[in-house]
Formats: sequence, C-alpha cells, structure tokens
Amino acid sequence: MSSLQHAAAATMTSRAADSSAPTPIIEMNDVSFQYPGAEGMALQEIRLTVQPGEFIAIAGTNGSGKSTLCKCLNGLIPNYYVGDLSGSIQVAGMDASNETVSSLSRKVTYVFQDFENQLVRPTVYDEACFAPLNYGYADYRQRGERALAMLGLEPLRDQWIWQLSGGQKHMTALAGALALDPDVIIVDEPVAQLDPYHAKLIYDKLAMLNKQYGKTIIVIEHHTEFIADYCDKVVLMDSGTIRWIKPVQEALSCVDELAALNILPPQVTLAVRNWEARRGQLAAATARQLYPITLAEAAVYFQKDMEAVDARQKGYQPQAALPSTEQAETISGRESQALSLFANPVPALAKASDAASPQELIRFANVSYGYKTITRALHPVIRDLNLSIYEGERIALVGNNGAGKSTLLKLISGIRRPNKGELTVCGRLTKRHSPEQLSEFVSFIYQHPEEMFIEDSVRKDVEFFPKARKKEGYSAFVDEVLERLRLTKLQDRDGRLLSGGQQRRATLAIGLAMRPTVMLLDEPTASLDASSRREMTAMLAELQDQVKATLIATHDMQLVAEWANRVIVMHNGRVLLDTDTRSLFRELHVLEQAGLIPPQITLLSDRLGLEPPCLSVDELQSRLTGAAFVDTAEQLPREEVITSGSH
Amino acid sequence: MEAIKQNLIDKLSVEQIKIELMRTAFGRQSTFLSRFDPRILIIWYSFFAIAPWFIHNKIILLGLLVPIIVLTLSSKVSPLVLIIMGVGLVSEISYILLGSLLFGGSLASFWPLMTLTLKILLISLASIAVFSSMDPEKLSDALLSLGMPAQFSFGVSYGYRMLPILIEEYHNIIHSFRLRGRSPQRKGIFGWRSLVYLAAISVRAFYPLILNTAKRTRTTVEALEVRGFTYSLVSPDAKKLKLAYLRIRPLDFVFLGCSLCYMIALAVAGQHFSL
Repeated sequence: MSSLQHAAAATMTSRAADSSAPTPIIEMNDVSFQYPGAEGMALQEIRLTVQPGEFIAIAGTNGSGKSTLCKCLNGLIPNYYVGDLSGSIQVAGMDASNETVSSLSRKVTYVFQDFENQLVRPTVYDEACFAPLNYGYADYRQRGERALAMLGLEPLRDQWIWQLSGGQKHMTALAGALALDPDVIIVDEPVAQLDPYHAKLIYDKLAMLNKQYGKTIIVIEHHTEFIADYCDKVVLMDSGTIRWIKPVQEALSCVDELAALNILPPQVTLAVRNWEARRGQLAAATARQLYPITLAEAAVYFQKDMEAVDARQKGYQPQAALPSTEQAETISGRESQALSLFANPVPALAKASDAASPQELIRFANVSYGYKTITRALHPVIRDLNLSIYEGERIALVGNNGAGKSTLLKLISGIRRPNKGELTVCGRLTKRHSPEQLSEFVSFIYQHPEEMFIEDSVRKDVEFFPKARKKEGYSAFVDEVLERLRLTKLQDRDGRLLSGGQQRRATLAIGLAMRPTVMLLDEPTASLDASSRREMTAMLAELQDQVKATLIATHDMQLVAEWANRVIVMHNGRVLLDTDTRSLFRELHVLEQAGLIPPQITLLSDRLGLEPPCLSVDELQSRLTGAAFVDTAEQLPREEVITSGSH
Repeated sequence: MEAIKQNLIDKLSVEQIKIELMRTAFGRQSTFLSRFDPRILIIWYSFFAIAPWFIHNKIILLGLLVPIIVLTLSSKVSPLVLIIMGVGLVSEISYILLGSLLFGGSLASFWPLMTLTLKILLISLASIAVFSSMDPEKLSDALLSLGMPAQFSFGVSYGYRMLPILIEEYHNIIHSFRLRGRSPQRKGIFGWRSLVYLAAISVRAFYPLILNTAKRTRTTVEALEVRGFTYSLVSPDAKKLKLAYLRIRPLDFVFLGCSLCYMIALAVAGQHFSL
C-alpha cells in the first residue's frame, strides 16, 4: 500500500528541476504530434530538456510514443512523416522547424531497432563512411576510420555485412552513426535484438562515448537492469505523454508504477522490495523512497540488513555470506527446503542410472557437421558430438553465437544432414529421411517468425501440416489450438502483420498443430517485451503435456532458470557442460567462457554466498527469510509481492 | 544406393548453388581484368556485347573467341557458371542439329545457325569475364560516373548487399514449406512427382520473400533519409567525392589500344580469308 503512496509522492516531485543549467542540447516545449490519418495523438504536450552529456533512458510500453518522440529530434517528423506537429523543438542550437532532415540528422544520429535494415552498404568500412560521404565531407574516409577505431571495429573493416553476427551488425550501425560526429546518439532498443552479452558490449561502448567523448546518449529501453547500470535519468512515457522524468534510482524505485506499465524493475530491486514487504517493514521503513537498483548496491543492502537482523534476533543464524562450519548445516537445511519448493523436478542426470529409464528419443553418435564457406573451405560447426535426449526433458541449449545451437536444431529437424556420424530421431536416421518425413515427429520453430509464415493468414499457416496430410477432423483440432493460444480472433490476419508477441504465439500454434513428439525452438523469447516474454515462458511451461521433449536454443538465462530441467552449454560445436539449471549457475567460469550472463538474482545470491545459487526472486526471498519469517509472509496480501516473471 | 542418390542430390543442392553464387559475387579475387578502370571495362564490354551481331565473318568471330576464352579463364569463373553455360551450349547445338536433320534440312541450314550460336557464346563469355572480374561496387560507381541516375547505381550496390540475405531467407522459407508439407508418396518415373513438388515450393516461396522484403524496407528508407542519401542525390559534392578514386591510368589505354590493334588485325585477316 504505502509503496504506492511513495510512488505517487515521487510522481509529484517528478519533473527534475534542471532548467537552471546552461544551454540544453535538446529542448522540447509543448510538442504534440498526430500521424496523418491516425485517430489519437501520438505525442501530447511533450516537455523535455536534455543537457549535453546526459545518458537518458526513455521507457514505456509499446505504442507509448517513444520512437515518435525520437523521430522529432532528427527531423523525420515532420519532414518525412508529414503530420500535425505543434510546439517548439530546439536541437543543438537549431530550431527544428526551420531545419531539414539532413541538417538535423548530422547532429542527432539514430540507430534503429531493426538495425540490420539500416545497413545498406556491402562492407563494414563502406557502411561507416556512407553518411559522411553523402553529406559531402571531404574527410569521409577518416571519419569512417575514426568511428571504427572508437568502437574497436578495425579488425572487421573489410568484412561483408552479411558475414557479421547480430552484435557486430549493431556495432557497425553505431559506427555509421558515429562517423557524423553527432552531438546526440539515439539507440532504439538495443537489448531487444541482441543477447545480453552483446547488449552489454553495446552499452559499454555507449557509456564510453558518453564519458570519453561527451556524447549525449538517449536509449529507448525497457530492460531496467541495463537502465540501472548505465543511465542517469529515466523518461517514462505513457500513451503519448511524458509521465515523469526522474533520476534513475528514484525512477526504478517506483516498482509498482513500472510494473503496472509492464516494465519490470531490476530483479535485485524487486528482491529488496519484496523482502521489505514480506518482513512487514514497509510501513516501518518510514517513507523509504529509494531501493538499491544495481547488483552491487543490493549486495551491500542485504549484507547490512542481515547483520542487523542477526543482531536483533540473537540465536538465529545469519543467512548471508561468510559461511562457517556452523552455518553450513543451517544453509544446507534450508537448501533442501528451498529445493523441494522451487527446484525443477528430477534433474536430468538421474536418468542414466535409473533402471526404468525413459525412452531415448534422439541420439547423436559422433556427429559432425560443417558448411562450406565462399573460399570452399569447410567450416566446422558441430564437432564429433555424442548426445542423447530422453522423454520428459526440457532442454535449454545455451552458448555464444556460433557455438552451434541453431545448427544442432536444424540437424534434428532434418534440414541439415550430418557430414559424419549418425543422428537418429525417433528411431529414424535423419540421413535417410526427408524433412517432410521427419516432420511427423519433430516440429521446429524458427527464430524469425516471418520465415514461418508461408500462407496469407494465421489459420492457413496453422492448418498447413494437418491439411497436407489430410488428417481427419483437422479443422476442429486447429480451432482448438488457435483457441488455446488465444489466436482465434487473429486467425484471418496475415502473420507478418502481427505484433512480436502474437507472431511468437502463432509460430507456437503452427508447431503444436503438427502434434510433434519433439519440439525445437530457436530463441523463442528473443526481441519480445517483458509481458510477451512472461507470457511465452508460461506457454512453454505448458508444452510439456503436449510433447515428449522440448529443446530450446536461447540466450535468455531467466527462461533457462525458470523452465529447463537440463541445460547443455555449447562452445565451438562441442558440449561444454551438460547439467541441470542449479549446477549450471554454480559454474560461473563456464558461463563466462560461453559468453553467458546469469540472471541478476543468481549473481546476487552468489555474492551473498548462498550455495547453491538462487534461480528466482521468490526463491531468494524464501531462502533468506528462512523459517523465522514464514508467518509474516503468510499474512501478507498476495498482490503485495510482485513476482519476477521473465525479463 | 538410396544414400548415394541422396548424397548426389545434396551435392547439387540449393546450398551448393548458394555457395557458388556467393563465391562469384563476393570472392574478391584479383584477376587480369579487375586491374582496369571499371568505366574502361564497361566501354570495352559494350563493344563485345554489340559488335558480334554485326559481324558475319566467321574468321573474325573465331578470332574474337580466342582472347575472350583466355580472359574468361583468367577471371577464375565459378565452375558452376561454366557448367551451366556448357550444358546450354551442347543442348542448343544438338537441338539445332536434330531439328535441321529431322525436318529435311541438311548441314547447309545447320551452319548459319551455328554462327548464331557462336555469337551468343562470344557475348556470354565476355559478360562472364567482365562481370565476374568487376566487383559490383565498382560497377555501380562506374555507372554513376557514366551519368546513370544515383538511384540506379545505388540499387546495384544495395542489391549486392542484400543478395546473400535474400538467398538465406529464401532458403529458410523453402525449408518452412518442407518442414510442414508432405512430399509425394510415390516419386513417379524419374521422380517427376518429387520434382514437381519441389518446383512448386520453389515458386511459392517467393511470395513470403517478397512480402517480408517489402516489410523490412520501411526502416531502410527511413535510414537512407537520415543518413543523407536523399541529400546526396541533390548535392554534387557527394558524387564528386564518391567517384574521386576512379582514375583512368596509362595501363587502361594500353589495354584499349591492344584490343583495338587486335580488332584491326582481325578485320584485315577477315578480308583475306574466309570460312
């Protein structure tokens, strides 16, 4: 309750009073905009002042006007999108209404959300030089070179764009923007299309540009863990208006308000907030407005808090860090309790020794696969792999880009065939069977939904498989699948025109309509916003009744933590580690080697010395609370505790 | 047996064709022709693309064929391209031969048709030699420099950038059909049913490809706007800067001169001998 009041109070004091500072780089006054033909206003009375050298996050739900706001700054609005624009916009000392796209976008550069489509030149170097060349800067080559050097991209200078990984493409797009030597760099949702590891690299570069070169950085972002680590200020947008502008810690402490807008606060902030709520300290904490928002802050907070609790409750063992021989017992006792409550059932490793072992569905026997590069050399992707997959497994395949995860899925689906070794899928050698024959057992959901929409409506796509096989009564079954995935209303729409979350649901429906034994999914939660991601995670959890085994290739460590019962870490085409989730997060060095970043909560529990590390906010909560606080927890109204979900 | 057949099909697979295509486009090899200025090459090529139609002397045509074959070989052209050409040539010659014999003609009607084949061969080899030596970027710049609209020359180089991505996506869409479709149970004689099935898929896969491409160009067009492409269309500076690297050097004149001398020699020879 009272936290809501805090949020409200914070809102009142919102608009940061920094108008006293000298010439702002961006000043928007009462800006409103309406797209031609649109009913509502896209922007309403926007008032925003940005000082040079700030690092700002614009957060908000889809359609809240974040991108529209940014497009006002580089002149795309109203020069390219002609609509009704009112109010005044000052950018880098220019009055935007008198300027063109070309004069504004030299000062304010933009990295698009689907940055791949912003790259128009064949090589990295050409791409970096493109904008300065167009604007007729005689030193365009030096500008390009300098931008590449600033981002450490020299080694990629002569690479073809199509050879780059997602992270490298994003860097290249950034270099292309940087080459104009802009004052302001706007980056639209960098985390959405990248895995966390590469997103962090991008943010590190942005921070460097901000600190070392004094660039003003604006990111459109709803991944609060990144906001907490990098940004100074948060602009929260809601249906075309700015709800508030706050310094980052104050902003992210508005846990309930953000959650109401489907923006999940950092896991550590949630943990602290729920921790205080559960201990009934919320009221007592006398108008606490600021929560810790970064890992380091949260670790300090919990350590201090533990000591305080410890002092107050003599006789009760401290839960945090510094394990001594005495504490070891307590912790392990609590561990078993936590495991029974929260851990995934039956670690996969048990099956080997089990006498009545479950059915083996897939077996890789010395499988190698590689493809030819344009120099005709064989590029190995999978190296001499031995692996078995059994009924009842929910496998997360993790590893950095190029580790061979997607290829492994393609091999199982039959659209790639091993160069060496034998791969058996549901009793069939993939070598001898066509993808059409294997599709009776396996359904493969691509990373890019658009490549799965081969018909002009969702329904036709979903019924493609049963219809081609003339399955009896398929129509009713398709109805059922559509209903289950809440697609009934969307069934006549073209899949390409749906939102990201809807597209994922549609591809899942396509897969389910095949009634597969094994389901393969490639990055099912990539580029989804927080709520769609949570929804997807829930749906994946339901899958286990429909199929015998599921394999997901993913970078989403929260999904791994909450969904998988077996984790295979791949590196350079080999299995680096094959284990369950809990042991996975114990092996921090293996994760590092594979370029993976564990969920924040796992890192926090590691810092607090909890062994084994926790997988979710709730689990940390209960492990920290221990038996002593169970009673208070039960008395707490359910709504008070916001669960972490997938993020 | 089945496995061997499958293996053979794999060798001639989309994957293989893809690699060869990419190799032709992105191989970045330095060849004899790639040393010359692209504009000179375009002028040189346009002669070889047009002149053979007006030359009827077989001595001259055969005389032209010799250096063109040498140039083609020096251009390290992908074997796939040559094989496709070879198959086309052999089948054309054989159907002309068959046709003229079946319909009561004789070798008398065969000869003039062979001249046509020779001309086509000449032109295609010249195209292969020139275009596989010239990287599309240079081609695009040369076109711009020769006065083509900037949109057109940009289109060439953008196509070059997009080609691999489109091929990849096309391939994935085909897989999408195969992962959900059902191949014919009986393959038919020479597997004609399977062939029809695959051919139908390869045509149908174009529709999603086109729609997806249309969708993605939205960002591209905005990006071109903010990255100054539209600005460069009206600013002469950009064009000048972009083309500043193109230089016609003495070597280019030597190349043109040699070609001219050879042509004159051929023409003289053609006057004295005939076939």
